[in-house]
Amino acid sequence: MSQIMPSARQRKTRTLLFWAVPAVLLLLPLTTNPYTQFIANGMLVSVLVTLGFTLTIGNLGQLAFANTAFFGIGAYSSAILAAKLGVPWLLTIPLAGAFGALGGFLASAAALRGIRTYYLAIITLAFGELMRWAYLHAKPLTGGTDGMPMPRETLLGISLTDDTLKFYIFLAVTVLLVKATLNLMRSHFGRAVMAVRENEIATASLAIPTARVILVTFMWSGFVVGCAGALFARHVGHVFPESFGMLHLIASFAMVLVGGLGSVLGAVLGAVLLTALPEYLRAFPGMEELFFGLIVAGVLVAMPMGLASLLRRVSPIFVERFYREAP
Amino acid sequence: MLMQLTLGGLSQGMIYALIALSLTVVYRSTTVVNFGHGDFVMAGAFLSYVLVVLAGVAFLPAAALAMIAMFVLGVMFNRGLIRPIRGGPHIGLALMCIAAGYLLRGIARMVWGREVLPMPPVFDMAPIFVGDLVITGDAVFIIGTVLVLLLLFFGLMALTDLGKMVQAVYQSPRGARLIGLNVDRFNDFSWGVGAALGALGGILVAPVSLLHPDLGASFLIKGFAAMTLGGFGSLGGAVLGGVLLGIAEQYAGAYLDTALIEITAYVVIVAVLFIRPQGLFGRKAVVKV
Repeated sequence: MSQIMPSARQRKTRTLLFWAVPAVLLLLPLTTNPYTQFIANGMLVSVLVTLGFTLTIGNLGQLAFANTAFFGIGAYSSAILAAKLGVPWLLTIPLAGAFGALGGFLASAAALRGIRTYYLAIITLAFGELMRWAYLHAKPLTGGTDGMPMPRETLLGISLTDDTLKFYIFLAVTVLLVKATLNLMRSHFGRAVMAVRENEIATASLAIPTARVILVTFMWSGFVVGCAGALFARHVGHVFPESFGMLHLIASFAMVLVGGLGSVLGAVLGAVLLTALPEYLRAFPGMEELFFGLIVAGVLVAMPMGLASLLRRVSPIFVERFYREAP
Repeated sequence: MLMQLTLGGLSQGMIYALIALSLTVVYRSTTVVNFGHGDFVMAGAFLSYVLVVLAGVAFLPAAALAMIAMFVLGVMFNRGLIRPIRGGPHIGLALMCIAAGYLLRGIARMVWGREVLPMPPVFDMAPIFVGDLVITGDAVFIIGTVLVLLLLFFGLMALTDLGKMVQAVYQSPRGARLIGLNVDRFNDFSWGVGAALGALGGILVAPVSLLHPDLGASFLIKGFAAMTLGGFGSLGGAVLGGVLLGIAEQYAGAYLDTALIEITAYVVIVAVLFIRPQGLFGRKAVVKV
């Protein structure tokens, strides 16, 4: 490893920086107008989606397409729980996460049978398409193509359509899940995840049940993205099947790659950078696909480990454990 | 009824067989699974639409031109985007294929917007009646074209050195280099053939379906389902898997529920990978750790 690991003092600075960012963000609603606030909320949702995605393709090293499906499962379960069963939205967030985790289990259960790489990718791809089919065809539950509106709700006397209130809730959930994921990746389990990526057979020889590691990583990824889905449902106020289509998939891939595969910091950076830009492209059909396609291809050729790899060169503060120099 | 369904399934299955075969050709010779292949199929369909409807070329020359264009595009894709990241892990290569697919889709959508385009029928042949069975011109055309092509393809593989070259490069690219094969050029060629065959799938399907830029996604899944069923990496398996999938779809749609036609492919993928991961003719697909 050519990179110097951060010193004890730099690690302290890093902890300080980590908490300084959300602290400063608490003041953000003072400076925004309703539109920029809406965009900022969208960025927080994207951060979680990208975080969950980078876990499976970056940290675990398994090509997975099911991320968009977890996102849809989270959003739909939040909407269904809130609209049909009257569960308060705040409570649907962890529940949507649990459904997302269940999705993660189903999408990766084949790993227990020894299914890896391309086969696992195809199974997750099929799982995603199956979910899209389900949104459209389970009409009594999902509303089909018309989608599902989120019910009106108030929290502490403020309507949940208020973007500032949403921002604080989104921020709390995002910080919580980012921190939890960082801790998980630092734990014994997190090391096992990255060991599976580097060499599965060597990992198995250390008595680590690799298939189970894959399964649990998918489930945690599903949980994070499922929670993001619940946030998204409230963010846009109406859940449509198109939100969880192919465009969302390539956007997630682009965010993961721009930030840097397998980097939590990168997931945050990629999501923040790429959430706002496409808003301007939406008016021109086809431009979003071209934009994200070019970004993915460009990053793969020119900067395969994304922005996180550049930051690492700037200061060891940004070095994450067990990062890779190349994808 | 059963015969009619089988015929319909056969003609649909021939398309899947072609797509699965083209995916396998690229996979066998370069070990890259083209996750953007559905959009190559879509591009073939759109090119033939442009040539036939907008430029007024007759169908057969238009199909040939579209295939040549897609061959060139496949070679260019390999040279420009795949080769620079060749040594990397499979994730990078797969993502590059996805990116290329989205680029094609973006171009298609930029030109056509959100419209759905109907292609004029190509074969205005009166249907043939054999007892209860109705054989349409399209079915004859699709099945006939693919059969001829398959004969040609497997004939070339069996009777010339081509088959041995594919096998050599598949087993060991370095070994193939040592015995004097130009592996880079061979990969270019495989990408070209893969893209052209996939495009032909799109060209054949264009006159019998509506065209839209997102049409590739479902064909990709069907190609994968056919490959998985036949055995990943087996050329003959891909063809058989495609035909079986086409027929299974028709049966499921007629005897169970029409909505099931769309998800037969997913069910096949999941079922095969759980029950018999190596498919009908594949080698072992399972990692034992």
